[in-house]
Amino acid sequence: MEQLIEDLTRGNVTEVKVVLASVVLALAVYQLVLAGVAYGWLRLPFLEAATASWTHRASGDAIVVLTILVATACIAFYGFEEGGAHAVFGCALLGTIALKIVAVRAGGRLSRLLPLLGVSVLALFGLTWLTSAGDFLGAG
Amino acid sequence: MRRPPQAVQVLGSVLVALVIAAIAIAVVTAHFGPTSSAKLEAREDALKQREDLIEEREKAREDRLEESR
Repeated sequence: MEQLIEDLTRGNVTEVKVVLASVVLALAVYQLVLAGVAYGWLRLPFLEAATASWTHRASGDAIVVLTILVATACIAFYGFEEGGAHAVFGCALLGTIALKIVAVRAGGRLSRLLPLLGVSVLALFGLTWLTSAGDFLGAG
Repeated sequence: MRRPPQAVQVLGSVLVALVIAAIAIAVVTAHFGPTSSAKLEAREDALKQREDLIEEREKAREDRLEESR
């Protein structure tokens, strides 16, 4: 697995991980705006709540795929041993994303938790990025 | 203001997501600077040349000292 990741990234594992994680973080911030429109907290004259909700879901699916790719590369290549805070935030992030997906699928009373779970996911994305990519780019 | 048709809204909001992704990629890769193997090799060569030069000067100094004795 380690060799496969090294080959796929042509030896630039960290750089590829940093780029993908930064894309995910930027899209996660956009997700917050879309969620705001979908819930009616933010009113934009050119975007309906239903459309914002659809894009939020589509963009969220892309974010989940990218996050799984980054997490797989991270765990398979670097492991947990030297992860420290990054590993803790990363695991909490994956767990919260899983919970959010369950809440979306289950609906009902669980869907009331979605705003809280969404904000938690964004915060964890930020913390996970800061303790790895941000650190690498000199922002952490 | 009248809202544009739903298809346009969907297309627009997805395009915004793509633009955000593209900007993130551009900003982060620009931060890395030159990472091509050719440029990294050139940097290593320059460092090696500098080390060789220092070594040569050291050797020449030692030779001069020996000759003067």
